[in-house]
Amino acid sequence: MLARVANNLFWMGRYIERSEHIARFLNVNYFSSLDAPTTESQSRQRVLRSSLFMTNTVTTSVDHLLDEQEVLFNIALNIDEPYSIINAVRNARENANSARDVLSTEFYEALNKFYHAVLRYDPNHFKVKGLFEFTTLVTESTAILREKIRGTLFHDEVYAIIMLGISVERAIQVSHIIQTKYTDALESTPNDELFERSYEWITLLKCIESHDMMRRFYKKTPDSSNVLEFLVLHPDCPRSIMNSINRLNKHILSLSMEKLPSKNSTAYLVGKTQAHMAYLSIETIEEDIQGHLTQIRETLYTIASSIEKEYFLYN
Amino acid sequence: MLKYQIFYEAVNTYEVPLREAVWQFIILPEDNDTQKLRFFQFSNSENIPYDQSVDGFLNSTIKLVTKKALREITFTAHMDVEKKEINPFQNIKNSTPGQDFKMIDDLVFKVDHEKFLFPTALTSIPQQFQKLFVFDRKETIFSNLCHLNQWSFEYFTFKTEVTTTESSITEILDQRKGVCQDFTHVFCGLARLNGVPARYVSGYLHQNNTMVGDLQMHAWVECYIPGTGWVGFDPTNNLLAATHHIKVTHGRDYQDCAPLKGVIYLTGSGNNKTEYTVRVKEVKEFKERTQQEYRAEDFAEVKRDLENRFSNPSYLKWQQQQQQQ
Amino acid sequence: MNVSEHPIFSCYQQHSEFFDEIFEEDGNVKEVYKKLFEIYSGHTVEDFASLNNNAKSSFFNQGITFQVYGDQEIKEKIFPFDLFPRIIDSSEWDHIEKGVLQRSKALNHFLHDVYHDKKIIKDGIVPIELINSSANYLSQMNGLEPPGGIYNHISGTDLIKHSDGKYYVLEDNIRCPSGVSYVICNRTALKKALFGVFDAYKTFTVTDYAQNLLEIMQTVKPEGVDQPNCVVITPGIYNSAYYEHSYLAKAMGVELVEGRDLYVEKDKVYMQSINGAQRVHVIYRRIDDQFIDPMEFKPDSTLGVPGLFSAYAKGNVTLVNAPGTGVADDKAIYTYMPDIIKYYLNEEPILNNVHTYHCSRPDELKYVLNNIDKLVIKPVDEAGGYGISIGNRLTKDEIEEVKKTIAASPRKYIAQPIMSLSVHATYIEESNSFEPRHVDLRTYTILGKDKDFVLKGGLTRVALQKGNLIVNSSQGGGSKDTWVLKS
Repeated sequence: MLARVANNLFWMGRYIERSEHIARFLNVNYFSSLDAPTTESQSRQRVLRSSLFMTNTVTTSVDHLLDEQEVLFNIALNIDEPYSIINAVRNARENANSARDVLSTEFYEALNKFYHAVLRYDPNHFKVKGLFEFTTLVTESTAILREKIRGTLFHDEVYAIIMLGISVERAIQVSHIIQTKYTDALESTPNDELFERSYEWITLLKCIESHDMMRRFYKKTPDSSNVLEFLVLHPDCPRSIMNSINRLNKHILSLSMEKLPSKNSTAYLVGKTQAHMAYLSIETIEEDIQGHLTQIRETLYTIASSIEKEYFLYN
Repeated sequence: MLKYQIFYEAVNTYEVPLREAVWQFIILPEDNDTQKLRFFQFSNSENIPYDQSVDGFLNSTIKLVTKKALREITFTAHMDVEKKEINPFQNIKNSTPGQDFKMIDDLVFKVDHEKFLFPTALTSIPQQFQKLFVFDRKETIFSNLCHLNQWSFEYFTFKTEVTTTESSITEILDQRKGVCQDFTHVFCGLARLNGVPARYVSGYLHQNNTMVGDLQMHAWVECYIPGTGWVGFDPTNNLLAATHHIKVTHGRDYQDCAPLKGVIYLTGSGNNKTEYTVRVKEVKEFKERTQQEYRAEDFAEVKRDLENRFSNPSYLKWQQQQQQQ
Repeated sequence: MNVSEHPIFSCYQQHSEFFDEIFEEDGNVKEVYKKLFEIYSGHTVEDFASLNNNAKSSFFNQGITFQVYGDQEIKEKIFPFDLFPRIIDSSEWDHIEKGVLQRSKALNHFLHDVYHDKKIIKDGIVPIELINSSANYLSQMNGLEPPGGIYNHISGTDLIKHSDGKYYVLEDNIRCPSGVSYVICNRTALKKALFGVFDAYKTFTVTDYAQNLLEIMQTVKPEGVDQPNCVVITPGIYNSAYYEHSYLAKAMGVELVEGRDLYVEKDKVYMQSINGAQRVHVIYRRIDDQFIDPMEFKPDSTLGVPGLFSAYAKGNVTLVNAPGTGVADDKAIYTYMPDIIKYYLNEEPILNNVHTYHCSRPDELKYVLNNIDKLVIKPVDEAGGYGISIGNRLTKDEIEEVKKTIAASPRKYIAQPIMSLSVHATYIEESNSFEPRHVDLRTYTILGKDKDFVLKGGLTRVALQKGNLIVNSSQGGGSKDTWVLKS
């Protein structure tokens, strides 16, 4: 396959995945705050700040009063904001256009429909009453896209590269969400004990669509320890970072021609990360949560750029 | 038999580093009845490997590709050429004007020589200049061409830095000043207009004290004379091309035989320029030399040429149009 | 059964001056359309409105669109699709198929001759000026032997049916003829919308085009290559025909490359894949000659590949179509087609040519200038329907304007009698019914080494604006599914 097309497929996967996480975060973060048990967790200003932080890692000062409609519009539909959902969808489709001949007609049609639906979405309707409808459109459409990828493409290198994009982006987005909600939990609670039992951990699970799974597995109230363990380390949680890294490893091995990945190769880097994470315990993480979250994120960024350097170089 | 040592150098500089570049040189003297390339050595300051290939007109080319982020690169070539001493007048066959013109008016002749009979953008004489020189059908074609050679030599004043490779033929004809390329394009255009196949020749000139042509590579014309074949005319010097003219190639105009073409992608926007140095030296014997000796000598010559360039104001500098992205 | 009896045909006005593809002069439906007409008459006006909308959104959702370059922005548009298919019966098709194949073969001989001995010029049949002054004549092609001896692998022949009921060829397109993807899309769309109609007719498939194209590309592989790696090269996603490029690559199962994916080393062409360099042997190029190689042609082209032409000249890669074919699809050469066919094939032309006046000839120029109102004036080298003037549509001032333009550069123009394109029932959104509209037909012919293929079907283009004779997609035309019936 062409290196350029591979690059397009990788980024298409990343943008599709990105649009979904931003949309779900916007939705869950907003709606779960409406009836949150504490005033801190109900604060609309904090919800908006946190949404901006997650999408764009912009820290907004507490003194700065945010305009709700403006923030929601910027994140969802503002074409001039590079981090907006509409731009992620546009980029996904642009990349798909350049790789159209290797994609299935069914998948392309679904993506194209999604693109036009987002492009046509009325911003005025969105600002007043479209938040739920719009974010649901995005999360449902991306679910359809993922199934079309899985079910209508031959599982060869084309598939492996899209899945690399999806997996690396999912891990990165999940790490962003964890970081954001960790910050929210710190901000909204005065002491350690309250921090550990903050309502934000439940919101975090919901933002990653893992609340029910987690309940069934632990049969316990979510707290900082079991939520982080579940979302970072549990291989069977389909949205955990560990799960994404396992998938990354599987797909990178199907691309790499080497049985024994050479040092400095992406396969080597992913394998090493996988081994490290497999034996990382929540106790170790809790010694320095912030430090570990940062390190995981940095590693994921390195893996993403290593894939690009190794496979996608062209003129 | 004369022996020439030719030295060619092109120094390319770029304001911003290269992202990618492809260069193509057409600078090697061809082998023909009167000349033979005995040795050549091509090198560059970055040690980029080169391919020998041909272009669309089957000119033998040297090609290089790089992705190095260069700001400057120097290309150097050494060539040893043997040239027969010739008297071009000896070869001209006797003919009558009637025979000559009957032949060039013939359709089959026109079709067989269509490539060098029809004007290109650089050799298309505008309407208002077409009567500047009209062939006299009472004289032979050879004699007409000699007059055209003389006429060109008188019509133009040799002057550098008045025209560039971008100048239009109208500008050139208006200014009546130019370099060998311009003399040659106008000569070709007028000859073709009068039904005589004419081709642009690119090559080297061994300059003795009487000849001009200090544009780095020289240009002259070859015309097809019925009964005789291709004959070289050097309108810049009002001479027939002979022993001092070392031919590289021919084409319809400069574009077909540009000595250096480059497709350049820069990492940003910026200008680029090329400076050329060409020297032709007559020697008694070619030296038997090892590669190392060649290199040592190169170095000395480059230095001498650098000094020359500053002391000799007639050395031209110009920029070649190149692609940017 | 008569035209006025059905609500969806209530706006159908017959004109005796045009050949009607569906109705006899007395208003009765032609035999071959009877069954189709019956089925369609069973639909209500609302049925058609909704079918029409479904078909439109299906094209839009599938991204089967082209870009229109407006003053400010680029718009994504669908190529309007019409629900009423054009039917060509088997004997009529036989005639067309033989005719277009004959033309393509004659053109291939002509190109070989033009780039070698030039016998047809030496014999005084085609003037040398037409070759040398053509912007599409590539001197570099002289003496080159294209792999398999083929120049115009793909030809698109534009035909019309005149009021005399005969087919005439309007143009031969042998540079990069486009539109074949619409032939396939139209069929798919009609099958989805009105699958019932296919039970009533035995129609040839059109989906075998890509397979045949690939097989023919493989027959013209460079010498010494066993399994050729074929690719399609596109100018990129912003090109108006990008959908077609990606469709063809996908349907053939080959890579769709851009210039930046390829490079030339030691006169061999490679593409940059995720596993390193891979050799490329046959390139179906959808990039014009002037852009394929900045080293050889237009130096500022970023679409092509430096050194590609040298690789071609060395015989290491095949270009489909060959560079320089444009010299033969020049509108001036068109007028010599009957002579060209006779000269090389020693056959009478099967399909008619439209009589043409050459403005380059003084006597014909005079006729043209005096009779502009009866003629269509065409520039010799513009594609896409631009720059065409239809004499009887011009005001007096416009006629004077056109006269001036022609007189200034006669070589650039030809004139032809105004041909009246036949009409076909076409669904018109404004009136919610079928109305007669002008149609033409583009056929697709592929030539390979000892193998050829004519797509049984073609692109019936329809001028949607009332009275408009220009059927090009960039000028607001639509298209119809075209059925060739089995005998």
